[in-house]
Amino acid sequence: MTPDLSVALGGLRLANPVMTASGTFGYAREFAQLIDLNRLGAIIVKGLSLQPSKGNPGPRIVETACGMLNAIGLENVGLDAFVSDKLPFLKTLQTPVLANIYGTNIEAYTALAERLNDIEAVAGIEVNISCPNVKLGGVAFGADARTACQVTRSVRTKFKRTLIVKLSPNVTDITQIARSVEEGGADAVSLINTITGMAIDIHTRRPKLANITGGLSGPAIKPVAVRMVWQVARAIQLPVIGVGGIMTAEDALEFIIAGASAVQVGTANFVNPRCTMEIIDGIANYLREQKIASVKDLVGSLTHDGFAGVDRCKIAGN
Amino acid sequence: MIQQTATILWNQQVGPACYRMGLACPQGYAKARPGQFVMVQSGPTPTPLLRRPFSIFGKIGASDHPEGIELLYKAVGRGTQQMARMTPGQTVDLLGPLGRGFHVPVNAEKIYLAAGGLGVAPIRFLASVLMHDRGGIDCTLFLGGRSQEDLLCPDDFRAMGISVTLTTDDGTAGQQCLLTDPLADAVQAQPPDLLCACGPHGMLQCIAGIAERFSVPCQLSLETTMACGMGACLGCAVPKAEGEEGYHHVCVDGPVFEAGRIRF
Repeated sequence: MTPDLSVALGGLRLANPVMTASGTFGYAREFAQLIDLNRLGAIIVKGLSLQPSKGNPGPRIVETACGMLNAIGLENVGLDAFVSDKLPFLKTLQTPVLANIYGTNIEAYTALAERLNDIEAVAGIEVNISCPNVKLGGVAFGADARTACQVTRSVRTKFKRTLIVKLSPNVTDITQIARSVEEGGADAVSLINTITGMAIDIHTRRPKLANITGGLSGPAIKPVAVRMVWQVARAIQLPVIGVGGIMTAEDALEFIIAGASAVQVGTANFVNPRCTMEIIDGIANYLREQKIASVKDLVGSLTHDGFAGVDRCKIAGN
Repeated sequence: MIQQTATILWNQQVGPACYRMGLACPQGYAKARPGQFVMVQSGPTPTPLLRRPFSIFGKIGASDHPEGIELLYKAVGRGTQQMARMTPGQTVDLLGPLGRGFHVPVNAEKIYLAAGGLGVAPIRFLASVLMHDRGGIDCTLFLGGRSQEDLLCPDDFRAMGISVTLTTDDGTAGQQCLLTDPLADAVQAQPPDLLCACGPHGMLQCIAGIAERFSVPCQLSLETTMACGMGACLGCAVPKAEGEEGYHHVCVDGPVFEAGRIRF
C-alpha cells in the first residue's frame, strides 16, 4: 500500500505535507545540488520586502542548547530582484513556491500582495506578522489581534491564491491572534515563528548577538510549538501548518497528530540539508506501518486513551 | 558541493588541543581549491546542533591513502571536543567543498603568505598547491602565534622549499613580536605580487592596512560563525567596504576576499 501523502491548504494541493520554512532555504537553488527539490511538498522562500533590505550587523547567529538564536534582520533582495533573478529558477520546479512577505506598514504588505498576485508562478503567500528582529513591521502586526486581522484582510483583497499567515509565539494568547487572522480571510495559518531570546558572553558582558535579542529556533522550541499548534488547531477551522524544531519524521508526526495539516522544516535544513527528504520518507513509512491510508487521517488524531484519571474533555477540547 | 559520509583515517594531536584529522571522502574534492572549507557534523544532533566549519588543510593523494582531505582544528568547544575523541574508522558527515578560495593570478611570481594560529590551515593548502603547480614560484611564509606550541606545522612549509619567518608573543620561538612587524618590513623592502593571509581578525585588519599602504594585492580568508555554510541562513555577514552598501556572506562570497572589499 502506498499511503496518500497529499494535503490541501486552501486551494493549494501539496503532494506531501513537508514544506521548507522561510529564511532557512534561501531561494531553493542553494539546495539544488543536494536534494531533489521536486520531491518537496512546497517551498517557502526567504522573507521578501518591496525594497531590498541589507539586514542586521553581525554577529547575527549564535548556537544555544539544542537551538540557535538568529537576528538576520530579514535581509533580502527585494521584490524586483526576486522576480528577475530568483523566480526564473523557481519556475523550473514542479513544487509549489510560496513567497513569504513582510512590510513596515499595512500598505507595504498590500502592495506586495498585489504585485505577487500577478505572478502566477507564486502559488501562494505567507504573510510574516511575526519577525522579532526588525524594528518596524513583523511582530508589531502579529502581537495585536485587531492589527493582525487588518493586515490579513487587506492582503486578502489583493491576493487571490493561497494566503497563509505566520503567527508569533511571543504573544499572551496565540489562539486569539489565530481567530482574528481567520476572520481576516486567511486560508491557513503557520506557527510558530521563532521565540524571542537572548544570550550573553559573560567574559565581555556583551550580548552574543549585535542586535542584542534574536529569535530562538531548533529542537529547543519544539514542545512549545507542538503545544501551540494543538491549541490553535482546536480554536479555528483553517488548516494549521506546524513549524518549530522539526528535525525528523517523528517530530513532524507529532505536529500532525497535534493538529497540523502540514509542517515546515527550518533550522534542520542547516544541520542536515537532506532532512526534508528523510522526513517525507519517514512519514510514508510510518503510515505504511500503522496501516493509515492517508496522512489526512492522522491530522489532529491525538488520543487520550490509556491515561487513567485524565479529564477526557481536556484533550477533546470540549 | 556534496554531502557525504567520510571515514576518519587519522586524528592526531599536533599541539595543545590541536589535531590533524584525515578524512577519506570518495567524492567531490578533486577540484577543491585552497581557501575552500567544509562543514562537519561529528555526532548525533542536537548537541551540538550546528555543523562546524573548517578550512581544508590539504588534500590526501590516492597513492598512499584513499582520496580525501585533511583538516586542522583546535578542540575548544563541544563540537571540536567531540571530534577530538574520535578514532580512525569512525565517520563524520561532511558537506563541501564550500565557498570561494584564493585566486592567484598566473603571472604572480612572488607570494607572501601570512598565517596566525589555526589560520595556517588554508595557507598550507595554498602553499602546497602553488609549490606543486607553479614551478619556480617564490613563496615566503610569516607564521605567528602566542607561543612556540601555537606555531603549527612550520616544517611542512620548509619541506616544500618555502622560507619561513616565525614570530611569537612570548619569544619562545622566532622573533618576539607580531608577525605583521616582519611582514610589513618585507612588503616595504621587496613588495610581493600577492599577499595571502588567514588568522585572527586584528591580524587581518593590520595586514589589510599594510597591503593598502604599499599598494600590494591582498587576499584574506575570513572566519565567522555560520549555521549552514551554503548561503541559506545569511548568518555570516561581514560589512562591505566603505562606499558599498550592505554585507558580504562569508560562506558563499568568501571566505577569501580581496582585502579592499571588507570594512574592518
